[in-house]
Amino acid sequence: MESFIQLLVSGLATGAIYALIAVGFSLLWQTSHTINFAQGEFVMLPAFFILAAMNAGAPFWLAALIGIALSVVVLGFLFKVVIVDPMLKYGVLPLVISTIALSLFLKEAAKDFYSSQAQPFPTLVPATDLEVFGAVVSTQSLAVLLVAIVTVVALHLLLHKTRLGRSMQATAQNPTLARILGIPVERMVLYTFLLNAVLVAIASILITPIYLAKFTNGEVLGMAAFLAAIIGGFNQVRGAILGGVILGVLDNLSAVYISSQYRGAFPLLILIAVILLRPHGLLGRAEERTV
Amino acid sequence: MNRFGVVALGAALILAIVATVAPFFLRRYGIYLISMWAVLTIAAIGLNLTLGYAGQVSLAQGAFVGIGAYTVALLTQSGWPYPAAFVCAGALCFAIGWVLGYPALRVAHHYLAFVTLAFTTLVFLVLRNEEWLTNGIYGINGIERPMFFGWSTGSALDFYFFCLGMLAVLSAATWWMLRSPWGRAFLALRENPIRALSLGLDTRRYTLMAFAIGSSLGGMAGALYAPLVQFIEPGSFGLGMSFNLLLMVIVGGSGYFFGPFVGALVAVLLPEWTRFTEGYYLLIYAALVMVMMAFSPSGLLGLVERVSKVMTRRAASPLALRAKGTEP
Amino acid sequence: MSAVLEVSNLRKSFGGITAVHDVSFDVREGEILGIIGPNGSGKSTLFNCVLGQLQPNAGEVRVDGRPTTGMRPCDLNGLGVSRTFQLLQVFPQLSVRDNLILAGQEHRGSMLSRLFGRSDAGLGDAAERMISFFQLSHLADEQAGALSYGQQKLLDAAMAFMAGPRLVLLDEPAGGVNLTMLAHLRERLRAYHAERNATFVVIEHQMEFVMALCTRVLVLAEGRIIAQGAPQDIRRNPIVIEAYLGH
Repeated sequence: MESFIQLLVSGLATGAIYALIAVGFSLLWQTSHTINFAQGEFVMLPAFFILAAMNAGAPFWLAALIGIALSVVVLGFLFKVVIVDPMLKYGVLPLVISTIALSLFLKEAAKDFYSSQAQPFPTLVPATDLEVFGAVVSTQSLAVLLVAIVTVVALHLLLHKTRLGRSMQATAQNPTLARILGIPVERMVLYTFLLNAVLVAIASILITPIYLAKFTNGEVLGMAAFLAAIIGGFNQVRGAILGGVILGVLDNLSAVYISSQYRGAFPLLILIAVILLRPHGLLGRAEERTV
Repeated sequence: MNRFGVVALGAALILAIVATVAPFFLRRYGIYLISMWAVLTIAAIGLNLTLGYAGQVSLAQGAFVGIGAYTVALLTQSGWPYPAAFVCAGALCFAIGWVLGYPALRVAHHYLAFVTLAFTTLVFLVLRNEEWLTNGIYGINGIERPMFFGWSTGSALDFYFFCLGMLAVLSAATWWMLRSPWGRAFLALRENPIRALSLGLDTRRYTLMAFAIGSSLGGMAGALYAPLVQFIEPGSFGLGMSFNLLLMVIVGGSGYFFGPFVGALVAVLLPEWTRFTEGYYLLIYAALVMVMMAFSPSGLLGLVERVSKVMTRRAASPLALRAKGTEP
Repeated sequence: MSAVLEVSNLRKSFGGITAVHDVSFDVREGEILGIIGPNGSGKSTLFNCVLGQLQPNAGEVRVDGRPTTGMRPCDLNGLGVSRTFQLLQVFPQLSVRDNLILAGQEHRGSMLSRLFGRSDAGLGDAAERMISFFQLSHLADEQAGALSYGQQKLLDAAMAFMAGPRLVLLDEPAGGVNLTMLAHLRERLRAYHAERNATFVVIEHQMEFVMALCTRVLVLAEGRIIAQGAPQDIRRNPIVIEAYLGH
């Protein structure tokens, strides 16, 4: 039982991180029909920004802030203005291809310009163990869980309790109507991109201590984002959160109870099962048939 | 024959001549490279069907090449004659493509992209873990090149001509398919699926068919890949190859019949040309694709077309046209 | 004579708004039924529900007695139901001839047999006849996108007719067409109708077009049928006048 609690806590922690990544991904799709195949690399990259800042002499807390700021500029603003906007007029498909190319580009860039070796990354709190209900739980997991939960709650408050957040949601659900209501749609879309950049930066800070900073991190994390968003339902932020958490917990549990060689397979099978049985995800709304 | 037909025939003729004569001017490594070009073109033709004609993103083409390669390697090393193994590879990949695509294509939102992404990773895991079958990470060595009626394809030159021959046959078959009512159907489903449906065109079935045939061509490419490189291991057939093939189709020009030929050539030559940049070639390749998507989403052939203004007001056949979504 | 099309108690809502309330009507073989009504009366929604483009929330659609509610448009087409589109939906990059062949090819044999058959699916002659019927012979090999708006409308209708349908639903066929072409279009539709005893259902805004073409007229307002009858009666019906003027 103790190990179960341990797994549950670390699973929730990982799940919360996946949720952050998935929410950003989901929001981008909803507001601008951007399927960001580079989302995983977006999570991989801020860690390298931070390491670079630290190499230049900044203390961790400052480097983290710099990392988040850089992320907002590069992965938020520049991404939107340089890549997404020019592509949108060509349709969804060229944009998808562009983000696929971008994911490759970012991955190679990290490998070529920083290092191909895995780099250690500082944790938020010194890694010690606590006893909770007789189970041994690492403070790291708890810290991650705490930060992730705070972020998710803050996100929820932002989206539901502030005017800005509600405007963003309106833009996501019905841009035409939002425009008629006087909401500056283009600005809202920009904010979504910036928000995604913040979320992926936070996720990066939380997950890199565990995974170490590797240029290949994007593959796994990206997959997690897609899975979480699809499982939860493409069209719902709540769904992305739920999907992320489910994925995190299942992922950790399966590592123990299923052969480690096939560890990565479990979420993939869930994906295929979801698409087969409930293509709109667990929470997604069934949309009108288009064809 | 209309103007487009003349140009296409001319291009095909030139291509055929160059491809036949080139190996005699090249050394062993050069011949290996153009053999690789021929093999990758076949895989790219398949992906072009899925992407350029049916408008679906598939990230599993690399996995299908892998399945084809392993099928042929395992079967021929168990004593099966090569032609039977080849057919098996193609048929198996068609079946898998059909099964994979069936649920994914019932929903929109590019779900096939995600399903194929997951599938590629799954295939890699199976190839790596099931050592009893695939020899795991140690790979399969010593794959022999086939022999046909006393003609051994063992030498570099002979095997090249075998690959070239297969490329000719498979691209002719694809051309023929696109000339049939199916070609018109693919165009319709890509340009205006709603209208197509109202005319009785089952868009789901045609999309599925394009994907299955495309995957089957991937498998056949794999069947040639295995005896070409003569050593295969799971790592070669992951997302890396899938991305590579995807970028090939895009750079060449998705939806153009000759797009894959051009794209594969770029993909094979680029690492050679960027040797001086010490392994930055993938970075350059990816950057190139992004730039290209911004300025000429219809790839190199799209650029050529715009520059030379080949298209007149006269109607063209489905073979000349590419996806609406990639038009500037 | 049984009804070619039966719509029973059809309802369609979008969120809180009900676009079509409990609409029922029949269309008998050989009729040309016009459906008119002010903007927002639910005509297009009704159409799309009948044609399988939208799933109705309640009610039933039957074609020749067979239930077809929510059937996919391609299967519906297989039963002999065709449509034209309000916003032009020809394939601009194909020739006029190719557009017509495309329009009929899915009805020729099985998918597999078409792969191995002729490139034009045996529709060369049929396409030729359709081209001359609509007097588009001089444009047969032109790109459809190069045709004038009115000519594309004719092509759209021609495509709907290629498969020899039992029932054709025309969505605002007169929209945006000049008077001369309009008369020509109306005349061609009448000719086709007379030749094949086809059944048409037409949504239209242009009164003159409807009155001149249709044998019976249905009036929708706010998602409900408020009147039906012969064109001349509808024209004089006070409820109908009120519905139009009231907007």
